[in-house]
Amino acid sequence: MIGKVLVANRGEIALRIIRACRELGVRSVAVYSTADRDSLHHELADESVCIGPPPAASSYLNIPAIISAAELTGADAVHPGYGFLAENARFAEICERVGLRFVGPASSTIARMGDKAEAREAASEAGVPVTPGSEGTCGSVDEVKRVGAEVGYPLVIKASAGGGGKGMRMVEAETEAEAAFLGASREAGANFGDGSVYVEKYLERLRHVEVQVLADSYGETVTFPERDCSIQRRYQKLIEESPAPGLPEGVREGLMAASAGLVDSLGYEGAGTVEFVYANGEYYFIEMNPRLQVEHPVTEMISGVDIVAEQLKVVSGERLEIPEDALTPDGHAIEFRINAEDPSRNFLPQAGLVEVYNPPGGPGVRVDSHLYAGYRVPPHYDSLLAKLIVHARDREASIRRGIRALDEFAVSGMETTLPLHLAVLEDEEFRRGGVTTLFLTDRELESEGGLLRLVQHFS
Amino acid sequence: MPETDENRPLPLREVEHLVELVRESGVGEIRVRQGETEISVKAKPEMPPTPAANHVASGTQGFPEVVEPEASPEMDGLHAVRSPVVGTFYRAPAPGEDVYVEVGDTVSVGQTLCIVEAMKLMNEIVADISGEVVEVLAENAGGVEYDQPLFYLRPDAQ
Repeated sequence: MIGKVLVANRGEIALRIIRACRELGVRSVAVYSTADRDSLHHELADESVCIGPPPAASSYLNIPAIISAAELTGADAVHPGYGFLAENARFAEICERVGLRFVGPASSTIARMGDKAEAREAASEAGVPVTPGSEGTCGSVDEVKRVGAEVGYPLVIKASAGGGGKGMRMVEAETEAEAAFLGASREAGANFGDGSVYVEKYLERLRHVEVQVLADSYGETVTFPERDCSIQRRYQKLIEESPAPGLPEGVREGLMAASAGLVDSLGYEGAGTVEFVYANGEYYFIEMNPRLQVEHPVTEMISGVDIVAEQLKVVSGERLEIPEDALTPDGHAIEFRINAEDPSRNFLPQAGLVEVYNPPGGPGVRVDSHLYAGYRVPPHYDSLLAKLIVHARDREASIRRGIRALDEFAVSGMETTLPLHLAVLEDEEFRRGGVTTLFLTDRELESEGGLLRLVQHFS
Repeated sequence: MPETDENRPLPLREVEHLVELVRESGVGEIRVRQGETEISVKAKPEMPPTPAANHVASGTQGFPEVVEPEASPEMDGLHAVRSPVVGTFYRAPAPGEDVYVEVGDTVSVGQTLCIVEAMKLMNEIVADISGEVVEVLAENAGGVEYDQPLFYLRPDAQ
């Protein structure tokens, strides 16, 4: 096992990694910005180094500062968590060159998966179904039209280097193809310095399902039962659960086998997630995230596997240690992202002093959070305050447990997404299971005696 | 990054070892050479006493954390020069050469006080006010954090 890990992140995920290190007897080094002087990750790590001022570009994204901190503290490995430098192939490459082990796949694999058109091709070659569309990138509007004639409209043009909706255009009919193609290319070029785009058939009513994978350097690949992350707002996941409600067993097996095939074809090492859209019994590859994900605890709860600990074993050159029965879901788990956002005011970001912090407890409840009473939420970083994960023998029981735990969860000093989650759990369609990613778009939030309620609007 | 010998990590552990040797043996200076690398460690003439309250060991090890006490030297009109980067603190331009500044020296705005090396880049840290060097707060060849005070200067009388 490696001796010392530098955790190149902050907030709850930094704590999560430090905790895994502690349990494995690995020393941990926290890095923090001056805005995070009072943060728990800085307190709980064995060592810590201040790496820069509050803006992320000067601290948590500051590669020279992080590499220097690793060299000065004698760290053997760097765990990037999620966000910040987790999918930065250049950072992974620098780590490789200075002799630091990067907790994640090889930099070349990160680069390959970061290029969406190339990832699509890799998936296709590995026999994974991809959304009908172009093979690789589209160089001209004629190619867009050819795809349209083949798979039908509407289409969506996406930036190959992209993400987050930038460089993305809908094409309802052939007449719109030219304007959409030029617009998407220009926007992609401006945002990512690479104007290449690809085209897919636009699928509207779909679910987001994904498969957690782990692979070691001995060719062992493990795929876990899928997570359903369809409750989203503006492409940001809010609730994740596993297993996906009502998913036919054959689909589950297909998803797991397809993911394993892709991972094996890439020579992948470490943890990753293969994301799919699912509609009408069919599933298509969207992308692969070559890193630990926010929602990994959902899988941990139903499998009993410590995914972060397995990552550290893999980076140490050890074998994965996953018991066979870990791959059959043990009950049902749901995760709620408690964000510092006001759902009543269009999810306005909140910052400031946490006056009261009383997380829920009791059976089947896990809270991953960096909060404490008296902590000041800085305005510089993302809004995730806590992840509440509930686990029970089936979905119905975990929904009841979720309502109970959300009710107990007390945070004062700022508005959070807690009441939104309660409203989702009270929604009949959600309770039936299998909602699409348009669930929240289709609904209005109404305030009723201090409680929030979701009301479906029909267009 | 060019692939040169300079990309080899600095032998910080060896330096640390030498510093200990100098301290324990009481000799004035130790110099070692291996290939193109030469390390020289000199004993400090006389350490000025540091205000004890200024260095408080925190729960974490490694970097001594500078907790700013309520009656900080800064409140006595002293000015702290802080490290703008994470790196290794060097008081002299090269091993064996004279240090940039000593306690008691008068420095002017823009004068180099030390180097903080980060990823083989030598960052010269300059005085942002003119005044007298009252205290050197970091240890030569030791690690420094972002924002860590390196020197206390007493500003020139207006």
